[in-house]
Amino acid sequence: MYEALAETILAVIVGVGLALAGVLVVLIWKTDRSRKVSYLRLVVQTAAVVGIFFSFTQALWLAIFLLVILVATLFTGRFFCGWICPFGFYMDLVALVRKAFRVRYLTLPENINQTLHRLRYVIAAVVLVSPLFLGALTVNAQSQTNLLFLRDPDRSLGLMLSPLEPLIVPWAGSVATLSFVSWSVSYPYTRDIMFYINIPLVTSILVYFFIASTLLSTFLFRRFWCRFCPTGISLAAANRFKAFKWSPLLHINKTEEKCTKCGICKRVCPVQVTDVYEQKGGEITTSVCLNCTRCIEMCPYEGCLKLTLAGKTLFKSRNWLEPSKTE
Amino acid sequence: MITAGIDMGIQTVKVVILKDGVAAGKAKAFSGFEPTKAAEQAFAQALQLANVKKEEVSMVLATGSGMDMAPYSAGNVSMMGADAKAGVFLFPSARTVIDVGAEEARAVKCDERGIMQDFVVNERCAAGAGTFIEAMARALEVKLEDMGPLSLKAERASPINATCVIFGESDVVSLIHRQESKPEIARAVFDSMADRISSMVHRLGINPDVVLVGGVAKDVGFIESLKRKLGISVLVPEDPEYAGALGAALTAASRKKGASK
Amino acid sequence: MKSQTAEKKYLPDMPQKEIEEMNATVKSASAKIIADNIAKMKKTDPNRPAAMRYFDEVSDFFGMRQKEIQAAKAQGKKVIGYLCVFAPVELILAADAIPVRVNSGWYDTSKFGDRIVPVEVCPVIRSTIGAKMINLSPYLELSDAVITTLTCDGMTKFSEILSDVKTVWTMTPPRVKDSAQSLHLWKEEIKAVKTQIEKLTGNKITPKKLKEAIQTMQKATKAFRRLQDLRKGNPVIMGRDAMLVNQMSMWDDIKRWTEKTDALCDELEKRVAQKAWASPPDTPRVIVTGTPMFWPDNWKLPTLIEEATPRGLLVGDELCSSDRVLYDPVGVDEWTMDDMINGIAERYLMASTCPCFTSKDGNEDRVNWLINKVNETKANGVIYYVVRGCILYAMEYARVKRALDKINIPVYYLDTEYTREDVGQMKTRVEAFLEMLSARVDF
Repeated sequence: MYEALAETILAVIVGVGLALAGVLVVLIWKTDRSRKVSYLRLVVQTAAVVGIFFSFTQALWLAIFLLVILVATLFTGRFFCGWICPFGFYMDLVALVRKAFRVRYLTLPENINQTLHRLRYVIAAVVLVSPLFLGALTVNAQSQTNLLFLRDPDRSLGLMLSPLEPLIVPWAGSVATLSFVSWSVSYPYTRDIMFYINIPLVTSILVYFFIASTLLSTFLFRRFWCRFCPTGISLAAANRFKAFKWSPLLHINKTEEKCTKCGICKRVCPVQVTDVYEQKGGEITTSVCLNCTRCIEMCPYEGCLKLTLAGKTLFKSRNWLEPSKTE
Repeated sequence: MITAGIDMGIQTVKVVILKDGVAAGKAKAFSGFEPTKAAEQAFAQALQLANVKKEEVSMVLATGSGMDMAPYSAGNVSMMGADAKAGVFLFPSARTVIDVGAEEARAVKCDERGIMQDFVVNERCAAGAGTFIEAMARALEVKLEDMGPLSLKAERASPINATCVIFGESDVVSLIHRQESKPEIARAVFDSMADRISSMVHRLGINPDVVLVGGVAKDVGFIESLKRKLGISVLVPEDPEYAGALGAALTAASRKKGASK
Repeated sequence: MKSQTAEKKYLPDMPQKEIEEMNATVKSASAKIIADNIAKMKKTDPNRPAAMRYFDEVSDFFGMRQKEIQAAKAQGKKVIGYLCVFAPVELILAADAIPVRVNSGWYDTSKFGDRIVPVEVCPVIRSTIGAKMINLSPYLELSDAVITTLTCDGMTKFSEILSDVKTVWTMTPPRVKDSAQSLHLWKEEIKAVKTQIEKLTGNKITPKKLKEAIQTMQKATKAFRRLQDLRKGNPVIMGRDAMLVNQMSMWDDIKRWTEKTDALCDELEKRVAQKAWASPPDTPRVIVTGTPMFWPDNWKLPTLIEEATPRGLLVGDELCSSDRVLYDPVGVDEWTMDDMINGIAERYLMASTCPCFTSKDGNEDRVNWLINKVNETKANGVIYYVVRGCILYAMEYARVKRALDKINIPVYYLDTEYTREDVGQMKTRVEAFLEMLSARVDF
């Protein structure tokens, strides 16, 4: 009974929140041109995480949801990462908190960033393959078969889909159980850590360490996890296989002659992608880019950067400069 | 149709009367202190030679550095534009026209219609123009018109400083003291000019056929040196100093034709 | 303030009488030239926008603006001059000081500069030295400090010469834009000059004030670009008028300049609606690129272009004294002091198309900017203008020519000096070039 009540309250809160967010977006749309797409993105991310939560209550919805995401990402590359992924959403919220406290973000020195970039596949592979070995440590034989994807009656999401884990899940047993409604507070990857490393004290320490370190690194470095997230890398990698090279239709596109190398795109990128700055025009195909479109939003030269879907321009960089007196 | 072109050069004024596509009358006069008067004189002379009355001339255009002082003219044509038109008229295969005058040298690239595509001018230096030859002729105590034939007698050129006319002159004097032969010195003068002109033309890009016009084009010594430096032969018309005026007259004709369409 | 009795290393001690005489002579000559230029601009465009009257007023160096700055100084405000568009104007504004560009545009002062340095030196530098020697430039005289950017040899030694009589703060830009250490160096230079500004003015540059200053300049950029956008279509304003407006942004109060430029743009938009063109739509459209041209004497080339037969139209330029001055805004993501300093450093370094850099792609930034400008303004030809002595611009000619040849745009290399004597020769060349462009347009 409490569950139904809690669900209703949650639904109301979320509904009101979304409505407020929508109003905010419309208001800000008119005045702060350098942030309107960012606010739209926050609204979409909120809707996504709420959608995932509610789809947990209905297995069918979850399956449909996941199928849509899977198919969509075939064509949209890492758009999921920038606009849907709940883990990314939490990171963006942390960024908002940081901005409120006027703390500046850090950037990785370029050589370290490049090294991380080169090693990203290795890191992603290690994260994905480790369950194989860890699973052997735990007694669970199933772990080796339910390796990466949708899995078992625990109704958790599997390593690949772990970033989609909402902060509140409608079952007990995650990071901290809210016993009065038999829900629990959760966090991406924590269910996986608890499942594969089933050693009482060690597991707890690892879980809290993981939460703390990802939150801290995000506070300092913006979208830090995304630079080597296994899900993200796999999405991008799939899109780059010869067979699928044609498939990603959503790209950031640069017109070389309009670029004056002002460097704004490089600075605002939450994953420190420098390709938009360095590349001589054309489509940006790097697997680190999340299509968050912050660079397009901040580029002050009309039409220099565009977001294109199958060649058609969805939106392009505009003159976001403060409107002068007579506007 | 009868048109006329007046080339108000710094040293001489040249006039060409163009009658139905043929250069019917040519005349020139020294500009001196009253270039407009000189132009009027030359104009009258050209009319006489062409057997044409002034009223029959439907349009006059002026060119040359003193073009704003030309009498009777309905407008101006740039020297480069005039050169291009004249070059193609005289030699239909012309695509590069080099004009070496008393004080300035220029080169024009054109298409088969005589429309100029690009041009280059030697910048503020008389060592690539006729004045240089005059100064050197003075130093060698040779008549200006004898410089050319004299230089053809030489088998090699003496080294002279070709940076500046002034220094070049004192260089020539020192060469004379060293008993270098006059033909060789004369040839060096032409070689250094041709060098300068040829590097100017290279900046433009050489597109054959190359036509040489202007007062200095009458000098055989210069023509030989230029052929050597450019590495290709150049076409030289009769009365090359009238090319500017001819080009102006041709431009007048095509403007008149265009207007009457 | 720099001690006037300290021993001078370069500048001579001229007798006061001579200074006063020469000052008076050049001043009156300058007034004549300014009046002449403006008269010519009015004549060429009989329907010259009424809003231009304001800019004509500001263009008089010895008039309204000089008095304003003097009054502000009397109330304790500081004036900080600068010689190059690398100087971070936002920092000067944030410290409540007045920024003014102090390059000299007077031909007649070069001969004084020639007494100190050889004639091969950049004419702009020689002219500025001369202007200082006879105390001519009101802005230079009123400056409490001058920021020089060591972009070229001339500037490097000029900083020493000027420091004989002025407080000079040098900023060293890296010669390579694209490396991490370059940006780091430039950021440190920006921070150093920030400290200097704060010390001189006694005002701390707080994040709030800096944000305001950046937003003020962003508004100015918006108005600036609005004007350049209006030049892209049929001729609503003669190039000389637009160039005057652009230049005044470096001397005028920037907030007022923004307002007045917006008013001008409003007027121009009305002209567009009425199709009241300043020049026939088929006038050959020319872009000038190269060394900077300063008011008033250096209106030589724009005047020749727009008064030649056939007449040309200056639709835009790639000059650091005109269309490049306010083109790039400072882009800030999060308004923390660090992000703002980052933004300022990157905007002044990375967006610069100055040939003082060396790069693997042959200053592609400049070439791209120029090509984009040519395409946007539908220019028919480009004049590559170099004052003799500028090696950096002269050497880049080959690069620019090749790029423009590829898109079939004629380029003409025009070199000149700070002198009026070569107007005749320049006229024949400019007219030939315009004739060539007309012919191409006709066919």
